[in-house]
Amino acid sequence: MSIREKVDEYKKILDIFPNDQEKYQYLIEKAKENDSFPLELRLDNFKVNGCQSQVWLVPEEKDEKLFFNSDSDALIAKGLVTLIASIYSDEKAEDIVSSDIDLMEEFELGVILSPARRNGAYSMLKTIKEYAKNLVS
Amino acid sequence: MSKFSDIKKDFPIFERAINGKKLTYLDSGATSQKPNSVIDKMNDIYKYNNANVHRGTYVLSSETTSEYESVRHKLQSFLNASESDEIIFTKGTTEALNFLANSIANKLMGEGDEIILSEIEHHANIIPWQMVAEKYKLTINYIKVNDDFSLNLDDLSSKLSSKTKVVSIVGESNLSGMLPDIKEINNLVRSNSDALLIIDGAQLVPHRKVDVQDLGIDFLVFSGHKMLGPTGIGVVWGKKELLNSLDPVYGGGDMIEEVHYDKATWAPVPHKFEAGTPPYVEAIGLGAAIDYLENLGMSEVEKHSDELREYGRKVLLDIDGVNVIHSEQDIAGCTFGMYVDGVHAADLSLMLDTHGVAVRAGHHCVQPFHRKLGIDATIRSTAYIYNDKEDIDTLKSALISSVDMLR
Repeated sequence: MSIREKVDEYKKILDIFPNDQEKYQYLIEKAKENDSFPLELRLDNFKVNGCQSQVWLVPEEKDEKLFFNSDSDALIAKGLVTLIASIYSDEKAEDIVSSDIDLMEEFELGVILSPARRNGAYSMLKTIKEYAKNLVS
Repeated sequence: MSKFSDIKKDFPIFERAINGKKLTYLDSGATSQKPNSVIDKMNDIYKYNNANVHRGTYVLSSETTSEYESVRHKLQSFLNASESDEIIFTKGTTEALNFLANSIANKLMGEGDEIILSEIEHHANIIPWQMVAEKYKLTINYIKVNDDFSLNLDDLSSKLSSKTKVVSIVGESNLSGMLPDIKEINNLVRSNSDALLIIDGAQLVPHRKVDVQDLGIDFLVFSGHKMLGPTGIGVVWGKKELLNSLDPVYGGGDMIEEVHYDKATWAPVPHKFEAGTPPYVEAIGLGAAIDYLENLGMSEVEKHSDELREYGRKVLLDIDGVNVIHSEQDIAGCTFGMYVDGVHAADLSLMLDTHGVAVRAGHHCVQPFHRKLGIDATIRSTAYIYNDKEDIDTLKSALISSVDMLR
């Protein structure tokens, strides 16, 4: 599935929920499903800047594609970063760089996906793009 | 009918809904909401009265200047200061403390001198001192906090000496609501040192009647935006003879008497500390905020806070699984720090937001104290004049349902 298709898929799911509370509940479930991040990888060099919650992101290159594993100490943030990581995983670096999808606009998750410097999820999105950009150049 | 029962109608923000719910605003420790009278006053200045202060000899400027200067007189009476010249306008508490730290260290301190702070200071009352301590080779000591969140005054006594030049202490804790006994601290400081006593009144001044002469302290600092006023305006009150003895930290227009190419002489206090165009519209907004508080009466404001605090203690202290950080002294602010084992503060505040409940999550700029307690982050509920028992009830039921969902 392309980045666009994955975003549309998640949009469809998130749109089912009528309010933030149920959207958060969905993200909490996503977080609980993601138990693949080893605790010993919660290292400072994998940490993405955030203040209210901590976010870790481990990129990996396999068969010319990028994969991202992510974690957070807060549940809702973890659900969100899991979702973002799955959107950009299994994709080529140049596809990530050329994708101009604005997740903040696509997903109506204003409070948790706002461009605040303290927001771990937003910083993670930027880190993924920068990582891909460095690989391409 | 109580003066407070219908008060939300003075604050337009309460007309809006958050996530389809009524707004339950419990983050006034971060900033307070503004009444119409403050908003309208500032609008009026910009619309019909705007001109720079202390400069023009025309009607607009002279009107704005006298409005601006009248706020100094309001503050003099609000704090029972002996003169209006003792009121210096700043951008806020942070700038006020940075100014005092720099001015005092530069003029009155030297290598090896000591500063005493407490373990529960917020960053604005730590970092400026750390910065000057490094520059002037000074030492900082921290007064210990007891298990009930009160300050350990024996520890203060043991740390005071002839080397102590400054004691700078919070007037009301922004995490536990603890109110230090300022008069007792003042007595200890006077009898054991020649230090200057600064009180960080950011959380205290909005909630309690403060009489600077009665307290006997040297300086008081606070922000306008936590007491119904706008952002960008704060106050340093200081004893006149001390202010006279200090040098300005910022240079520029309006703070001078005579300027030559090689030197300048300063204007008398308060102007020598107010370089450049002051935030006069914000100061006038603060004046309207003081009018609003004085109209309620600060003793009524205190009473309202005490009643809400007692109610908060009754309903918030025994919620299953919720740990509360709150002063155990009889009198304290209506401030409750909270954390739930196994639940992240950021998750909790996001879930509370879906109930329309706005609280602060994080370390509230008191990181060292959180570290001492062994907690990463807390949520914090702080009430003000427009909050009522219903808000505390809403917080409680939202907490119970949110914790349930997150566990």
